[in-house]
Amino acid sequence: MSMPLTALWTVPLLGALVCAFLGSKARYGALAFSSAFLALAGGISYLQGSPSALAVLTETGPQWAYGVCYRLSADSLSLGLIGLTAFLNLICVAASWDLKVSAGYWACFLALASALTGVFLARDLFFFYAFWEATLIPMFFIIGLWGSSGRLHAAVKFFLFTFAGSVFMLLALLALVSAHHRVTGVWTWDLGSLDPKTLGAAAPYVFWGLVLGFAVKIPMVPLHTWLPDAHTEAPAAGSVMLAGVMLKMGVYGLLRVAIPLFPDLSVEMYPILGGLAALSTVYGALCAMAQTDLKRLIAYSSIAHLGFCLLGVLSRTSQGLSGGTLQLVNHGLTTGALFLMVGFLYERSHKRGLSDFGDLASRAPYLAFFFGFATLASIGLPGLNGFVGEFMSLSGAMSAPFPIFAFVGCLGVTLAAAYALPAFQVVFWSPAGPDSVSAKVSDLDFRERAILWILCGLMLWIGLAPKPWLAWFEPALRGLVR
Amino acid sequence: MIALAPQAALATGVLGTLSLGLLRRPPALALRAIAFTAVAAAMLLSAWAPAETWSSLILTVDPKSVGWQYLIYLGALPLALWIDGEDDVLTALFLGSTLGMSLLASARNLPMLFIALEFMSLPAYLLVARSRPGPRGLEAALKYFFAGGTAGALFMLGLSFYYADTRVLAGATTLNSLGQAGAALMSAAALFKLGAFPLHWWLPDVYEAASPEVSGFLSTAMKSAAVLFLMRLCELAPEARFIAYLPAIGAVTALVGSVMALRQERLQRLFAYSSISNAGLLILGVGAWAAAGRSADGVGSLLFFLGAYAFMSNGTFGFLKHAGVETREQLKGLGKSMPVAAAAFTILLFSLGGIPPTGGFMAKLLLLWRAVDANLFWPVVLAAVSALISLSYYLGMTRDLWFERPHGPESAPGRGAPLVIACAVGIVLLGAAPWLMEAVVK
Repeated sequence: MSMPLTALWTVPLLGALVCAFLGSKARYGALAFSSAFLALAGGISYLQGSPSALAVLTETGPQWAYGVCYRLSADSLSLGLIGLTAFLNLICVAASWDLKVSAGYWACFLALASALTGVFLARDLFFFYAFWEATLIPMFFIIGLWGSSGRLHAAVKFFLFTFAGSVFMLLALLALVSAHHRVTGVWTWDLGSLDPKTLGAAAPYVFWGLVLGFAVKIPMVPLHTWLPDAHTEAPAAGSVMLAGVMLKMGVYGLLRVAIPLFPDLSVEMYPILGGLAALSTVYGALCAMAQTDLKRLIAYSSIAHLGFCLLGVLSRTSQGLSGGTLQLVNHGLTTGALFLMVGFLYERSHKRGLSDFGDLASRAPYLAFFFGFATLASIGLPGLNGFVGEFMSLSGAMSAPFPIFAFVGCLGVTLAAAYALPAFQVVFWSPAGPDSVSAKVSDLDFRERAILWILCGLMLWIGLAPKPWLAWFEPALRGLVR
Repeated sequence: MIALAPQAALATGVLGTLSLGLLRRPPALALRAIAFTAVAAAMLLSAWAPAETWSSLILTVDPKSVGWQYLIYLGALPLALWIDGEDDVLTALFLGSTLGMSLLASARNLPMLFIALEFMSLPAYLLVARSRPGPRGLEAALKYFFAGGTAGALFMLGLSFYYADTRVLAGATTLNSLGQAGAALMSAAALFKLGAFPLHWWLPDVYEAASPEVSGFLSTAMKSAAVLFLMRLCELAPEARFIAYLPAIGAVTALVGSVMALRQERLQRLFAYSSISNAGLLILGVGAWAAAGRSADGVGSLLFFLGAYAFMSNGTFGFLKHAGVETREQLKGLGKSMPVAAAAFTILLFSLGGIPPTGGFMAKLLLLWRAVDANLFWPVVLAAVSALISLSYYLGMTRDLWFERPHGPESAPGRGAPLVIACAVGIVLLGAAPWLMEAVVK
């Protein structure tokens, strides 16, 4: 195959088209194409990772009007996140296998995977933006068509909120491209050749425009209010993709676009951005403590977790960058697993409230085991993946200016235990109340257990031996250290 | 004279429909066939003619004017397919109005501009009144007539001031205060036609009262002509001071249109406000084009926007006609009862909202980019906010279509689905391959 990167985003897109026409057999198509997508992503990563192919894969198309050019490239950061996308996509297909849904459901997930892959591959900012926005369309339908009771409101809110951020990102990109053309006489959208120095005094506005677009997506407090609704109302697999991959787009945008273009400004603005990241960790945790809905609780915990990623990445120390990036993967695994399990619970009982359950551990021991495992990973128990990411992020922030942010982050770690463990206790160990629906909950079946064994196995692997994972991302992050 | 062949084709169409009308019962199919043939022939002839540039004192046909003619015919073509074939006068009025627009594309001096303006407007008033007989249509037509008449009067007054000051009918290099006042009055006429704030009050009533396909025609072909009219004014009076205010007027219009559309329950009224909002973007685009030295890039962005809008607006109004829906309430659950047409409509809505990969996204991108290039910071930010507000009701309609359960009895679908689907396919192609449009226009 001469164009492996193009194949990487067109295979799932093709899958989406095929599934749309397969009718009731669509899930088999979805399984086939998701597996092919994962195999392709794995194959490219394997070849890329071998010492014989040190060069970064790149594909460039012809130049179009105004310097727009089809330009893809895959370094380890891109491939890592694409691998995460492909992996979680397959997990979602497997987890939704028995749902009574129309062909559109499977098509939407594959289309989403395609657009996400495009975001991670594109090196031309025009294509980056187009893929970025295109991710919203399938997710809008996933939430709106297959979500729970508040889905109508949540779908529109999600779309509008993220679009609001990206409109300003687009204006910032336009200003950057125009300024480059005015000074150099060359139209280009190429991330590698755009020169932000041509902006002159307008640079901070452009920087903040970009950051606004990314911060909504991450989401960074105070731009997070779309997240709890969207994550709570989406179907379980939709929440997995939202939390597992779509939130990562924001941090990826910082790593790929904002920081490389404005290395000095991002250091100058660290007191504001790092402060907001530290605030996110505490604020997300405090909000999670107050929740009575299990899914909403996990949604708020995502805000806190992404705060750690952000703190590590923004500190621009080698530890912080590696830890923050690894935490992106970790969060995808742990929160993905938690959302799936809440989904399994909801399928059985049609309830999500903490007080709707009780004494589940004796009724559904496998569920209790996996839920406890993922909860411990999520709050950062040493030996599991969350610890590695959070520890490295915080120690990175510690060695950057304003170590106070790291202290605030440590507070966030403590608070994580304070919201996650009581929730686990209430659902699985406390005696069942009079309104409890625990009796309806049967234990996980083989398919569900298999999915969770894989996820938990990965959590343990990253927790015990993080080195290969860190080494994988390291080449892409080397240049970003301050 | 071969350059005027498209206009001749349209005029022949007018004569043909009127002569058929002499029969007691004019055959509907024949009338529609004549309308379609006339517009399609005009389109083909204009594509074939531009090899030569033909010029007189009052009209010039060059590649530039041909590009605009093309756009006008593109906007008019759906109505030719869709017009009520029972009514020969309606068909003749439609072709006459289109003829006026195509003359506007070639007008070379201000009096000719005025004649072309009236030529396209007078039939349009009657078109609105006749397309949906009854007191509401008549009232809207009267309102339209008074608004249009005011615009015409303003233009004539402005023209007389301008002539009194400069003693030329086009392209004066220096303007005194009298000439400036004249140019401002003439621009007010153009802004009236475009529905710019605060001269937009007539537009929602007219678009709501006319039948959907006529509203589609008014919001595409007529809008293209009005934008062209404004640009011609900028060219013929390059020193006029009003040009500097266009970006601000455009941005405010875009914002007002979007905000007003938020609360509309009746769909034709909603899309009328949405067209005001889009007109605002176009005025901003004209302002950016004039501010940046009237470059070809600026014209290209406006042409692209209008071309994309021809698909979007004709497609959306076409869907309203096809599905027979009048209020937002009636949209609910249509995704279940007519999935294909609703999917096409959804694509058009996303395009209107400016979401890639659609032509609407490319159109907004190119237009706002010219404005960013011209350093129009605040107008661009206002326009972006307006785009955001407008997205909320486009998404709201998508939600009603797909996520809600149907209310009340289903209306029987019309026979317009192929046209709506064609518009949706066209808009996706424009988004995926924007150079197609460029190639056609060039």
